[in-house]
Amino acid sequence: MSSQSSSQQTRSSDRAAAPDTRRANALAHLLLNGALVVLFGALFVQAGALPASMWEPLGSGSFPRLVLAVLMVINLGIMAQEWRRYRGAPRASAGLVTRWLWQHRLALGVLALFALYIVGVPMLGFRLASLLFLTLVQLTLGVRRPRSLAIAAIIAVTFSFGIDWLFRDVFIISLPRGPFG
Amino acid sequence: MTEALFAGMDQLFTLPTMATMLLGVVAGVIASAIPGFTITMAIVLTLPLTFTMAPLQGVATMLAVYVGGYSGGLISAALLGIPGTPSSVATTFDAFPMARSGQPGRALALGIWSSFFGALVSAIVLIIAAPPLAMIAVKLGAWEYFSLIIFAMTVVASLVGKSMLKGLMTGLLGLFIATVGADPMMGVARFTFDFDLLANGFPFLVVLIGIFAVSQLLQEVEDAEQTKHGKQLIPTNVAFKPLDALRETLTYPVNLIRSSLVGVFIGAVPGAGGSIANLLAYDQAKRASKTPEKFGTGTPEGVIASESGNSATSGGGLIPMIALGIPGSAVDAVLMASLMVHGIGIGPRLILDHGDLVYGMFMAMLLAAFMVLVVCLFSMRFFLRVTDVPRSVIVPVVLVCCVVGAFALNNRVTDIYLLLGVGVFGYILSKLDYPLAPLVLGVILGPIAETNLRRALMTDENWTLFFTRPISLTLLILAVVSVALAIRHRLRQRHAAKPA
Repeated sequence: MSSQSSSQQTRSSDRAAAPDTRRANALAHLLLNGALVVLFGALFVQAGALPASMWEPLGSGSFPRLVLAVLMVINLGIMAQEWRRYRGAPRASAGLVTRWLWQHRLALGVLALFALYIVGVPMLGFRLASLLFLTLVQLTLGVRRPRSLAIAAIIAVTFSFGIDWLFRDVFIISLPRGPFG
Repeated sequence: MTEALFAGMDQLFTLPTMATMLLGVVAGVIASAIPGFTITMAIVLTLPLTFTMAPLQGVATMLAVYVGGYSGGLISAALLGIPGTPSSVATTFDAFPMARSGQPGRALALGIWSSFFGALVSAIVLIIAAPPLAMIAVKLGAWEYFSLIIFAMTVVASLVGKSMLKGLMTGLLGLFIATVGADPMMGVARFTFDFDLLANGFPFLVVLIGIFAVSQLLQEVEDAEQTKHGKQLIPTNVAFKPLDALRETLTYPVNLIRSSLVGVFIGAVPGAGGSIANLLAYDQAKRASKTPEKFGTGTPEGVIASESGNSATSGGGLIPMIALGIPGSAVDAVLMASLMVHGIGIGPRLILDHGDLVYGMFMAMLLAAFMVLVVCLFSMRFFLRVTDVPRSVIVPVVLVCCVVGAFALNNRVTDIYLLLGVGVFGYILSKLDYPLAPLVLGVILGPIAETNLRRALMTDENWTLFFTRPISLTLLILAVVSVALAIRHRLRQRHAAKPA
């Protein structure tokens, strides 16, 4: 029997992490919902220019305008809630942003690699871009030992060249080829 | 009906369909056994693979993944104490202590049998309830349909997430996203900004993959940073006695049937689903038990309740989808999308126009439940190894599959750019505690809502008909009641949380 130590399950959201982050969280809401109110307002105006119909009381723009109007009201409601939270929360300590970025370095690193991969697929082709992406993400997420590196290489080849073969020859769907064929 | 049933069975019981269903079951069990890999992700990634299949084969394969997924979540819940999917949370309460007390095989076998009976009960209820409900639904007018969607959206918004306002926000955002592209009545281009990509609207599958898979995977990476999971907790030598477990499961018939019916009912409520069903079934079993104090210590009653409860939601979720064209959950929305890809319209007429397909789906549910049972009973020792797969492998592999799925839909590179944008937006929303399920339901319900609203007003410009037609009024009252109950519930929670 190889029973080992129990797993610690301490999933914590940023909100629950500390009072320190409450103000930052409220600010993030205010920025997002504020931006959405402006966006929805602009789209509401644009929807007004859509043509009316001769055959029905509602034109093409009526339903989107109805949805956008309610969205604006709800976003303003969320902003009012978050504003109260922002005012009531203690000031964030210095270095909070740096700490947050450091805590999320792996997720942000994977996201950056994913963005590069998306851009790289049409430029390098699916096979090569996927091979590089799979290898780099596995390394980023902590694959270090020789055995793990060997497994990582097999996975990278299988899920780049293997998927390309599966889709091209079995499903007859050609994935982006790029300059290297 | 008999004719449609036999036609459906004729299409279902073919070698290619049964082979892909078997693969689907195995894939569903494996995917859900991996902590962090949800059933929705598994279904979403299966969808592009079904494009080249016949409609029933495609949807039967996805149903197999769905049913298999509910059983797979049990493995990591019982052995690692980590729910493989959100619908296995309550399973950890008793299956994990039972496994840690030296009976991992008993915990797994009890869970497998309970899952099987839960799926079986749900399939039977589905077969009995969906056709008559659809017969009533075809008589509904545009007013009732619009009110029904309003009701579904308010229920979803009030059930998921911590804030109802946020649930409503994402649901309405989904409705808005659905308005981009050609107007469903006049064909006028809306909010396309001269981008060819948007001419036909946002591709539903790309939105779905971006919202669920990409943002969820980034969240997984974060959790991996904050959590140090232990290695395998359970010995590799698991004593697995399925017949003993079957006898033990059947000694709790009331618990089994009650939990299954709770699962079916919760599954039929839009937006609820397995995660709520297994907690509610567990709670009901504890209240009804003669020994409630044993719950949480490894009692078989707890394992049976949670596993039969979550597996029964699979059939329950199909009831509103087949009878009304309203998906009960994100997974049902993907199943709807898979039929729409084949040009099959979803709604109450589905059962009238494609009876063979619907009855084929019913039989596929039953067949999938049997396949899961056989696969799990004979291959459990193999599935135990799956929980060892590290996140460093899962995350990049699934991200690559997301890109392939998004590209394969239309063979367009621009769709993968959109995937990135939607994924980042979904990640930001999830970081700020916005529930994502209402957004997906909004995207799929948007065109139905708009078409019915406009059709109702085209028929009669008098908008008060929404409030004077009895069924429409009832649905609108139910929508208001669901919002009011949610507000009351949250106010009580806030009041209880305040220090005295």
